[in-house]
Amino acid sequence: MTSLLTVFLLVLALITALGVVRARNLFAAVMLMGIFSLLMAAVFLLLDAPDVALTEAAVGAGISTVLLLSAMALTAEEELAGGIHPTPALAVVLVTAAVIFYGMFEKPLVGDPEAPVNTHLAPQFFELTREQMEIPNVVTAVLASFRGYDTLGEVIVVLTAAIGVLFLIGPDAPQGSRAPSGGNLAGGGLKHHQPLRIVGKIAIPFILLFAFYVQYHGEYSPGGGFQAGALLAAGIILFGLLEGREAAAAVIPTRVLKAMAAGGALVFGGVGVVTLLMGGQFLEYRVLLDHPVSAQQLGIVVIEVGVGVTVSGVLLLIYHAFAARGRG
Amino acid sequence: MLTGAVVAIAVTMLLALVRALLGPSVYDRVLAVNMFGTKTVLLLAIVAFVAGRDDYLDLALAYALINFIGVLAVLEFFHQRKFGHVPQVANGSDLQPPENEATPSEREP
Repeated sequence: MTSLLTVFLLVLALITALGVVRARNLFAAVMLMGIFSLLMAAVFLLLDAPDVALTEAAVGAGISTVLLLSAMALTAEEELAGGIHPTPALAVVLVTAAVIFYGMFEKPLVGDPEAPVNTHLAPQFFELTREQMEIPNVVTAVLASFRGYDTLGEVIVVLTAAIGVLFLIGPDAPQGSRAPSGGNLAGGGLKHHQPLRIVGKIAIPFILLFAFYVQYHGEYSPGGGFQAGALLAAGIILFGLLEGREAAAAVIPTRVLKAMAAGGALVFGGVGVVTLLMGGQFLEYRVLLDHPVSAQQLGIVVIEVGVGVTVSGVLLLIYHAFAARGRG
Repeated sequence: MLTGAVVAIAVTMLLALVRALLGPSVYDRVLAVNMFGTKTVLLLAIVAFVAGRDDYLDLALAYALINFIGVLAVLEFFHQRKFGHVPQVANGSDLQPPENEATPSEREP
């Protein structure tokens, strides 16, 4: 039943993707993107990847729709007809797709026990996680410890994205680039809609609590810094939608957000420097404490906090940058 | 029993997707997305039950909590657009297209 359901959901995803491409109305495209994200989260879960599905849930369900609508507020609602000749791009995409399909025939089937990943890498990760860290969620162990360099790189990429957005449309961007706009998400919020405010205010504490649960329970259940950061940002953005952007900015001022975005990455890199100074390799948590297992767990928890702080800071900075645009 | 529930949810998802694709009005699409989100929560819960993994329920919970942020953003977007003037790009050219006669209900009344 599971594989049938996966195929069904993937067919729906294909139809949705075609709908996004075909839609001339940008609002319809944004709505279809939301559906696409939901479908992909369900597929990820059916493929037994709850951590990825949780990321998709945290980012796709709320934040990406908010950001896409904020971007849409700065432009027109309909895609312009003509002006784009898709033939060369289409040819490139078709050739790439053909190559990918050709490569797919060589790949082992999903869950094939003879596949290289299941004979070499995965058993080793399971074995080492049990020996060295004693945490149940192997994904967290791989992400935070075995592949710590990659994760540090990802955090830096996320931070770079925020710096790029702030340079382009941030509050400190050059004045000439600020476009006057009426329809943005920056206004007084939905203050005059009492039912929404009351329901939203009931939901916000639970979203924040859930974010902290995902952060600190990430070693035992799906989740970790990335998902927690996105959920925390979602909670604050919900507050901003209900009470207005200024209210959200008063809760966590922009300068604090900037410090969060940079500070989280600094904590992550700092752990690496500390392990270097204590005589280990970069990000070799084993040397942090006398007991190697506790040291590994301490390292993972600290860098996950760094990841969470950076991700929430970056997402909120981008939200504020979009929502504040056009107010000046 | 569970298979029946999954099939029912799948059919509902398909219908919601059709409504989101066809539109024609803004409200159709918003409701379709909201409905799709609800069905995803249910589907995730059933998958968690079938797989016997309680921790999968975390995902359904995450969706249930933040699913409506998108809908609120849509409301806020049209709320602002209703009172705001026509958006312009930086060089001053007006990108707002002429009223689409085929689907007049796309416009917020």
